[in-house]
Amino acid sequence: MTKSDIRGVCSPEQAVSARAGKVSRRSFLATAAAGAALSMPTVRRAVAEEKVLYVNTWGGAWEESAKDALFTPFTRDTGIEIRTVAPVSFAKLAAQVRTGVYEFDVTTLGVAELGRANQAKLIAAPEKSILDPAKLWPGAVVLDGVASHAFGNVMAYRNEKFPAPGLQSWADFWDTQKFPGSRCLQRYAGRVIPIALLADGVAPDKLFPLDLDRAFKSLDKIKPHIRVWWSQGPQSQQLLRDGEVDAIGMWNTQVQRLVEAKAPITVSWNQAVVDVAYWAVARGTPRSENAWRFVNYAVQPEPLAKFSVKNDYGPMNPEAFKFIPEDKAKQLPTWPENFKNSIVLDPAKMLPQIDEFSKRFDQWIAS
Amino acid sequence: MGSSVSRLLRGPAVLYLPAALFLLVFFLVPLFNVAWMSFTEPDTGFGNYTAFFASSFDVGVLLNTFKTAAIVTLTSLIFAYPVAYVAARYGGALGSILLLVVTLSFWTSFLVRTYAWMVILGVKGPVTAALIMLGWSPPPQILFTTFASTFAMTHLLMPFMILTLYAVMRRIDGTYMRAAAGLGAKPLKAFTSIYLPLSLPGIANGSVLVFITCLGFYVTPVLLGSPRDKMIAGRIGDEIEQMLNFGGASAMAIVLLVATLGLFALYSRFFGLDKLWR
Repeated sequence: MTKSDIRGVCSPEQAVSARAGKVSRRSFLATAAAGAALSMPTVRRAVAEEKVLYVNTWGGAWEESAKDALFTPFTRDTGIEIRTVAPVSFAKLAAQVRTGVYEFDVTTLGVAELGRANQAKLIAAPEKSILDPAKLWPGAVVLDGVASHAFGNVMAYRNEKFPAPGLQSWADFWDTQKFPGSRCLQRYAGRVIPIALLADGVAPDKLFPLDLDRAFKSLDKIKPHIRVWWSQGPQSQQLLRDGEVDAIGMWNTQVQRLVEAKAPITVSWNQAVVDVAYWAVARGTPRSENAWRFVNYAVQPEPLAKFSVKNDYGPMNPEAFKFIPEDKAKQLPTWPENFKNSIVLDPAKMLPQIDEFSKRFDQWIAS
Repeated sequence: MGSSVSRLLRGPAVLYLPAALFLLVFFLVPLFNVAWMSFTEPDTGFGNYTAFFASSFDVGVLLNTFKTAAIVTLTSLIFAYPVAYVAARYGGALGSILLLVVTLSFWTSFLVRTYAWMVILGVKGPVTAALIMLGWSPPPQILFTTFASTFAMTHLLMPFMILTLYAVMRRIDGTYMRAAAGLGAKPLKAFTSIYLPLSLPGIANGSVLVFITCLGFYVTPVLLGSPRDKMIAGRIGDEIEQMLNFGGASAMAIVLLVATLGLFALYSRFFGLDKLWR
C-alpha cells in the first residue's frame, strides 16, 4: 500500500472505503459495542441479584408482540428488565455454554433444535421451585423445553389452478397427474420428511420412527415438480402471492397474511404438520432464576393468549383459549378442531434420527 | 534491545501498531481458534478433514463454489470494464452520473437487491412479459436457475469491480492514447497495446476482490438459484446451525481458506502478487 501511495494509484480497499468509509466506521463501532456487550454479563456476574434478563428473539413482528404481551408486563410485575438479542441463533446457544460467556439467558427452540440442544446439554432443567412441570398442563415440559406456541405447516394453493374441491391431502399434493402444476416445500428436513411419509399413505400415528427409505422414495416422486425449496418465511409468502408456484407447504402464520389480503388462495388444515416452539434456558447462565420466572410467566394463559393471537400462533397452554375470541381461535393450529387433524412433531421421537435425516436430506436436495 | 524498541516506538512503524493489534485480536486469534477446533472437535486428529474429503458431496460443493466465483468474476469484469472506461476516459457529467449510479447500489443491502431480482425475473415479472411479447412461448424459466443466481451475483459485485477499475484508469494519462494515434495506431491497436496493459493492475485488483467476496456468498444462490446451487458458506452455516458440528464446519472453513491461498500462490507465481499493490 505504501507503494501505491507513492505512485498515487488508489488500491481497491481505498477506492471502496473512500465511498463506504462512514459505514465501515459505524459498523466498527457497532462491533466494538457488541464485543463490550458480550463481555458485560461475565463482568456483572459478581453483582448479586441483578434485575436484568437477556432474551434471544426472532426480531420483527415476533419481538413486537413479545414485547407487548410478555416482556413489558413481566417487567412491570417483577421489576426485572428484559433486554433482547436478535436473531435466534442455535449456534450461539452452543457457543455460550462452551465459552461461559452468556449473551442471552432465554431462547426459543423448535422441535428438532430442542432435541439436539438437550442431547448436547445446552439447556437447563426447570427450577422446580419456580416452574413446576406438574403444575402446568400435561405435556408442557419436554426434554427441559417448556412448550409455548405452535405453528402449522399447512398446504396452500392458488384457486385458479385448482378449483374446488382442490387439494385435500398431502397425497393430492403429490399427485401431479391429477393436479398438474408447480409445487414448493420448505428446505427443512424435520418438516418435509413427515409430510413425504403422509403423502405416501403412512398413518399419522405410525409416523415414528420415520421410515427414511420410504420417505426419500416418496420425495423422489415430487422432486421434479418442485420449482424451488423455500428457506425464508417471507419468501414462501411471495412465491404463492405472485403465482410463482401453484401449491406450497408453508407456515400458517405466513399464509394468514395472504388470507387477510384476500389473495385468491385456499388453505387446507388437513394433515397440518405442527411444529412447536419451546422456551429454553441456557445451561449455566448466572441469571437462571430470573430466566425461569420469565418462562413461567410467558406460558400463563393470559399473556400467552395475547402473544399468540398477534402472530397467529397456536398457544400450547389449553387454558389460553379462554382469552381468545372463537372466530380468531379457529384460525390457530392448536384450536381443538384444527389440532385433531394435525400431526404434532415430537422432539423425543425425532431425536434419535435427526443427524441421519438432516444429512441425507441436504445431499438428496443437491443431487 | 531496549533502545531499538524505543527507537521503533518513535519511528513511523508505531503507526502500524493499532492496525496490527486490531488484526491480532479480531482476525488472527479467532482464525487460530477455528483452526484449533477443526483438529480437536469432537476428537483430536484429522477426522474432520478426512470426513470432508471422503464426502463427494462436500467436495462437489467446494468445487461448485470456486466455479461460480470464477464465472461471476469473469462476467462482472466483462460488464464493468466498459463502464469504468467511459467514466474514467470521458469524465464530465456522464462519468459522474455513471459513478453515482454505481455508488447508489452500495446504499441498498444485498438481500433487498436479491429480492428485487426475484420479482424482476419471476413468472409475473417484466422479463418474462417481454419474452412473451417477443413471441417466446412458453417463456423459459429464468428464476430458480443457475443463470439467475450467477446473473444476480454479478450485479451485486459489479460496483466493486467498476470502482477498482476506475481508480486505476483515472490515473492513465490520456496523452499516451493521443500519442499512439499520432504515430498512426488504429484505435483498437492503441487500446490493446497501451490502455489495456496500463489498466491490468485494476483488472487484477478487481478480480481478486470480486472472486474472494463471491466465495463467501450464501443467500443469493439459495433464493434465486436452482436447488443444486449450493455454496460452501451455506454448507458451513448448516453444519453449525443445524448440526452443531463446530469441528466439521471449522475444517470446511480452513479448507476454503487454504484453497484460496493456494490459488493466490498460483496467481502470484504467474502474474506476480506485487501487481496487486502497484
